[in-house]
Amino acid sequence: MSMINRRAFVRSGGLALLALGLPPEFVTRSLLAQTRGAARKKTLICIFQRGAVDGLSMVVPFGEKAYYAGRRNIAIQAPGRENGAVDLDGFFGLHPSLSPLHDLFKRNELAIVHAVGSPHPTRSHFDAQDFMESGTPGEKATRDGWLNRVLAETDCDACAGRSLADGAAHTADHVAGQTGMAMVPALRGIAMGPALPRALRGRHPTLAIEDLDNFGIANGRDASLEDTFARVYRTGNDEVIGGAADGAFDAVQILKAANLASYRPASGVRYPQGNFGRSLSQIAQLIKAGIPVEIAFADIGGWDTHQAQGGAQGQLARRFDELAAGIRALYDDLGDRMDDVVILTMSEFGRTVAENGSGGTDHGHANCMFVMGGGVAGGRIVGDWPGLAREQLYQGRDLALTTDFRDLFAEVVHGHLGAKNLETVFPGHAIDPAGWRGVLRG
Amino acid sequence: MFNVRRFLGCAAAAFGVGVAAPVLAQTAEEDTARALHLLSRATFGVRPADLADVLAVGPDTWLIRQLEPAGIDDRKLADRLAPYSSLTLPIGDLYEWYLPPQQLIQQLRVRVDSTAGPGRGRDTAFTRQDLPPELRRELQQRSPQRLLGELVHTKILRSAYSERQLEEVMTDFWFNHFNVHFGKALTRYMIADYEREAIRPHVFGRFEDMLLATAKHPAMLFYLDNWTSIAPDSLRSDDVERGRQMRRIAGLSDRQKDQLVGSGRLSREQLRRIEEAGPMLEQANRRLRDRGLNENYARELLELHTLGVDGGYTQQDVIELARVLTGWSFVPPRQPGASLPRPLANVEPGTFVFNAFGHDTHEKVVLGERVVAGGVEEGEAVIRMLARHPATAHFLATKLVERFVSDAPDPAFVDELANVYLRTDGDLREVTRALFTSDHFYTTDVRGAKVKTPFELVVSAVRVTDARVGPSRKLVETLRAMGHLPYNEPAPTGFPAVSEDWINSGAMLARMNFALDLAAGRVDGVRLDAARVDLAETKPDAALDAVLARLLPGTETEALATAIRADLERNVEAESPGAQLARAIGLALGSPEFQRR
Repeated sequence: MSMINRRAFVRSGGLALLALGLPPEFVTRSLLAQTRGAARKKTLICIFQRGAVDGLSMVVPFGEKAYYAGRRNIAIQAPGRENGAVDLDGFFGLHPSLSPLHDLFKRNELAIVHAVGSPHPTRSHFDAQDFMESGTPGEKATRDGWLNRVLAETDCDACAGRSLADGAAHTADHVAGQTGMAMVPALRGIAMGPALPRALRGRHPTLAIEDLDNFGIANGRDASLEDTFARVYRTGNDEVIGGAADGAFDAVQILKAANLASYRPASGVRYPQGNFGRSLSQIAQLIKAGIPVEIAFADIGGWDTHQAQGGAQGQLARRFDELAAGIRALYDDLGDRMDDVVILTMSEFGRTVAENGSGGTDHGHANCMFVMGGGVAGGRIVGDWPGLAREQLYQGRDLALTTDFRDLFAEVVHGHLGAKNLETVFPGHAIDPAGWRGVLRG
Repeated sequence: MFNVRRFLGCAAAAFGVGVAAPVLAQTAEEDTARALHLLSRATFGVRPADLADVLAVGPDTWLIRQLEPAGIDDRKLADRLAPYSSLTLPIGDLYEWYLPPQQLIQQLRVRVDSTAGPGRGRDTAFTRQDLPPELRRELQQRSPQRLLGELVHTKILRSAYSERQLEEVMTDFWFNHFNVHFGKALTRYMIADYEREAIRPHVFGRFEDMLLATAKHPAMLFYLDNWTSIAPDSLRSDDVERGRQMRRIAGLSDRQKDQLVGSGRLSREQLRRIEEAGPMLEQANRRLRDRGLNENYARELLELHTLGVDGGYTQQDVIELARVLTGWSFVPPRQPGASLPRPLANVEPGTFVFNAFGHDTHEKVVLGERVVAGGVEEGEAVIRMLARHPATAHFLATKLVERFVSDAPDPAFVDELANVYLRTDGDLREVTRALFTSDHFYTTDVRGAKVKTPFELVVSAVRVTDARVGPSRKLVETLRAMGHLPYNEPAPTGFPAVSEDWINSGAMLARMNFALDLAAGRVDGVRLDAARVDLAETKPDAALDAVLARLLPGTETEALATAIRADLERNVEAESPGAQLARAIGLALGSPEFQRR
């Protein structure tokens, strides 16, 4: 078999048929149909709150005296008081700006994990983000991200090396729901934004897409250039580079054929202005177009509130407004599809229990994370609460950790995406399902 | 100006040599291939003039000249770099100018709010929106992004235009080996100094000197946290009290100190030690009360800088080495108006300080060797030992071969280089010479086997097209999006050197789009004058061949030429000849062939 053909069959399934002279529309349409029909329909949407959100303002332990003792100016008052928190269970409450998410909690579709985070003591944003994305706290040499390893570990081994004829029969296995299928592997993991986040980097192909409307060669303005590059790469004899480019052209073709332009948000849904809202609406656009994206990733920044953090109103409240409005819009836009979607929030570490001298909070330790979706066992605050009395704090100043983020992530990707080999996804971490928090139903 | 006839000339000069006789032609072809191979690895990209140069003097002579960079006239580059003050300003000055934004806002506030001032505390409700427009502009001019822009731009200028290409390439390699990260707070103010003082002077010197220079540089001390590392037992409460007393003593007037010494309560030597270290202890007290030993630097020193992860050290060695290095710290930059206690008041921020009071004075054993309890000399001795260690020689040789020869280093070549390293006591000029002259370097299976990193792609495209580069936001964004913005790798491992880390689907699109943008003049600040060439005047085929010969010398480009020709034919009516040439250049720079070196 020639180099081109081998690559065509092994690397990218059908689309490289383009190189054999089949009409592109035919190929992409049939492939898209196959992909839509055959793909596992589960999606995990990760939202990274970069800069370390103050989890004690996000989900307020209003039942703790120590919370109010340490925060004279920035504490969120107890429910029932003016601008008070939204009561969740008589002890914890949502920041008032997060009230759009209260519905989800009441419908048991929002589980809140508190005192979760990385066991590593670092208070450096860079190190802590790096650890949360590599999935290996304390191990800086890890090159790939944990989400990329999830994709690699859920690849269908049986797909590799098949000819197209075998593939047709094998497709039936996928349809039967046995395994996921990755006709266009790069579409399985998509980050919204200009650069691929660390968590998605690695050997499995993934994509960063800033603007779906202009994705491709020369922003999709010039089909001829795209064609020429596709030809040059597909007919070249450079297997490494050509293989990666194949994945890109396949993705471009599929996205073109998917008629993304017909997307409109569900009626009444308004995404917040700005990059975060745009990222989420584009994720909805992909999912509603039937693109089998398994992991989508979006960032929202502005959480590093060392100064003038504010309380029920102010700097941090405005960040929560945007976060809640975005998630709620996405949730409502996806509607019933949320049964197959889990949204997971994360942030590199929490912030100090006490406010600092500038009306803000400094870098702390454990934090809280949200898990949302139709399949979530929600309506609960999950995980052990370590307390905020001084002797209960980490290093005498920060919320202590009771859930390792790797255990939560492992549970989510195992239960929702069917990830296997969790010890490869989180190397060096003992996987023990008995200790999982039970954030997913079933 | 991008001139087809000029490349035709160049191409003839470069490749016309071998036309005479078949045998000669074959030799000349091999000479050219070897010259191109050398240039593709020992420079940031082949320019036609470089090829002519190597062919004229021979690869070995060219290399020897490059190994003595001081002998190469590089004044043109110096002129280009002259406007960028951040390359030469002291660390303290850089800090004062590019203050962290929150502090800068407070400082600017003083200018508009007469009630504000030093000692009156911070007004946390005051934000950038409260500044008048001219001060908001100043805030922007003094933003860390500006500093980053200058650092990246000057890095591109050096890489693209320096005549001392090998020095640039090796500075890049060794900086990456001893990576520090712009994004980690104070590190950004120290990066220029770090590259200039700790890395560049040693790239053809002894490894040991570079290792020691990085170990004592504030950029490394801060980036890998060693400045926070103190002996766990050095901060007992009586020590804290002792520290307060010492700070008080250090702050006394000379007359009062003389009285103290005169009264016999303190010896001269004790006074000297207090003056040196008292303020650092105070700092340690304030910032590090709940910290102790920090193993971060010690671990990377063993794992990444010297022995390598399989170099035969244990976790206990990491701890012992961290203890050896306790107290290695630096004078921090300070806010304008703020001052350190007197003994350090006149010391340049960023200066290395050994904080004897934070040092672990107990005996340590590193790699089986007893370290006699002492002070800063403990660490110096261990670092020298590490530099001479055979595992270090092997690890460095492997990294060099991986970066400059092949993703799969040939063990025989690695051994050869490691032996040169050990024989010459880590003389990097000799090691580099051996690297680029070995028969292993020239084996045919490694030619063209490396994939360019994104930075190499960008710079080689600039070099080969002779583009003029000014400060460019788009270049910064492009490099960032491709994950290879200089000085911005957070991990101490540095940027990876092998293709699998750089080649993925999204990255390929980014490369092709960069090539098209560059050729079409869509990269701000970068001028590549393709538009003025009238393709219609030349026979199109010849022009295209000339373009490809210039951009991809020594490469088989028949299939590429066919594809580009077909593309141009499809668009011949829609586009001007200049735009067509730009299109051809963009396709060639975005081709798989141009992604390799």
